[in-house]
Amino acid sequence: MIVLELDRVSKVRGSGRHAVRALRDASLVIRRGEFVLLEGPSGSGKTTLLGVAAGLLTPTSGNVRLVGHSLAALADSARRALRARQVGFVFQRSNLLARLTVRENVMLMRTLADGGRTSARSDAARLLAALGIEWLADRRPRELSGGEEQRVAVARALVHRPAIVFADEPTGNLDGATGRAVAAALAEAAAECGAAVLVATHDPRLVPYAARRLGIDDGCVAEVS
Amino acid sequence: MFRLTARALRSRPGRFWLTVGGVAACTVLVLALQAAHRSVAASVGAYLGQPGMDLWVAPPGSDNFMRSSALLSTALVDSLRAVDGVAAADPIARAFVTVKSGRGTVPGVRRLALMGVGYVAPDGPGGPPVLLAGQAPRRRNAIALDRAAAWRLGVGLGDTVWVNGRAGIVTGLSGGTNLLATHLVFANLAAVAGMSGIRGQASFIIVRLGAADEPATVVRTIRERFPDVAAYTREEFLAANLREIGAGFVPLLSLIGLLGVVAAGSLIALLTHAVVEQSRAEIAVLLALGSPVRRLAVVLVGEALALVGVGFLLGLALAGGLGAALDRWRPIIPLPVSLEEAGRVFVLFVVAGVAAAVLPLLQLRRIDPLEAFRP
Repeated sequence: MIVLELDRVSKVRGSGRHAVRALRDASLVIRRGEFVLLEGPSGSGKTTLLGVAAGLLTPTSGNVRLVGHSLAALADSARRALRARQVGFVFQRSNLLARLTVRENVMLMRTLADGGRTSARSDAARLLAALGIEWLADRRPRELSGGEEQRVAVARALVHRPAIVFADEPTGNLDGATGRAVAAALAEAAAECGAAVLVATHDPRLVPYAARRLGIDDGCVAEVS
Repeated sequence: MFRLTARALRSRPGRFWLTVGGVAACTVLVLALQAAHRSVAASVGAYLGQPGMDLWVAPPGSDNFMRSSALLSTALVDSLRAVDGVAAADPIARAFVTVKSGRGTVPGVRRLALMGVGYVAPDGPGGPPVLLAGQAPRRRNAIALDRAAAWRLGVGLGDTVWVNGRAGIVTGLSGGTNLLATHLVFANLAAVAGMSGIRGQASFIIVRLGAADEPATVVRTIRERFPDVAAYTREEFLAANLREIGAGFVPLLSLIGLLGVVAAGSLIALLTHAVVEQSRAEIAVLLALGSPVRRLAVVLVGEALALVGVGFLLGLALAGGLGAALDRWRPIIPLPVSLEEAGRVFVLFVVAGVAAAVLPLLQLRRIDPLEAFRP
């Protein structure tokens, strides 16, 4: 089952003399459960591609289908709702909400996805346990190490069982061992949830987990053999 | 949502209490202004609304007790007593007098310009509406002084004060006679008329009606029979006096009150703006994750309302405490807080708070969810 399809997507950012063609006829397909790397240097268009794929940016041309929905046909609110239900995010910074505990940060996605009415607490606890950080449940983000924060972010990205997780340099701020551990945790937890993962990165530690590798350069996407 | 709002407020205790303090100060300001206005209206009502003061006969063109300089001849009193329905008619003299706590101009002598009311003491109409202590003036040199005026002069029962240079003994302290701009002091009619140079004349004549007589009928008869004087029922005279007070007070109070509400609204706007600015990264993350803008707006408006609520309750408590403290230790301005008026002020503050939160909320739409991707 295809969960994400980009068909000849272009995106121009800025206007006039400042216009930059961030994506050029980018096409890709990601199926359920796939772990895909999107590799490229800084400024190559990785984050723009994630933004377009997640419906955060509107493409200048081309079509994006996310979990069977053409994003161009959806209103802002519908795109937001689709994102809340079907998409998970792991950012370079964990971006956990400082006011909430670890458990509440994880449950937040359930709240956004379905109001958090059903089994949100137990699902959060199960996922935290699977990631080996259940003992951090009542702590605040400021009390966590970088690796712990990213594991919590992985839990938040998967707790609502999304169809796809977009991860932007999830190991970029982590040292060698911690980075590997977070990469493994993301891959294993996503596989267990059946979620596809599209990781924008230039971190080779993620390569062993990838089913496929895509390269992006100057906005053009190509399969890496 | 409530928990998020409570956490948001708790996470910035300094700013929370500064804003709450500002809203509370604005609340005290607005409630105190209202209370001051109401206390004057209540004093006028207490004085003019005394039983037995059914009709007021005044010089032509004078329709209120506060501002009237023309006089009536006391000979009119007997003529009025002959009118059908009039059970009693008594003159009162009203004149501004200077009251000093001591003789001469030695240091330490306090001085007040008061509204002196001479009436047929001690039992005639037009005397003090409430005697808080002592008794009504019986002798020519006795006076009943408004309690706040006595406090400002530093005198009490039995003390001697100097009224227009003549000695008077304070025999009573009255309540409901503080008009803020001035206070009432009561004395024998002849004494006030004598010291004001209006012997044989009266400022007003107060008419008491028989039990079965209609004020409107009798006032019409007086107007027909004495076309050179003005006559009013108690209600007409009271309304004219309240209008007179309102003309001077209400525009100023409204302006200052409005400024208070605007100041409170500005504080809320400032805080909400700061919250949005400082939470920009978190808001971008929430938007990226799929949080509806509406939900974020509810949290921010909830925060604004919580600030208004806590600030208002604190202000209400402070205003009540201020009123009680003033009454106990410095009874110059009566500030009775009315819960009904406080309710109206609260609604006004809530509207101001929500309106103030709207502009910062519009900022939300300018936050790009892609900011969440920035390292």
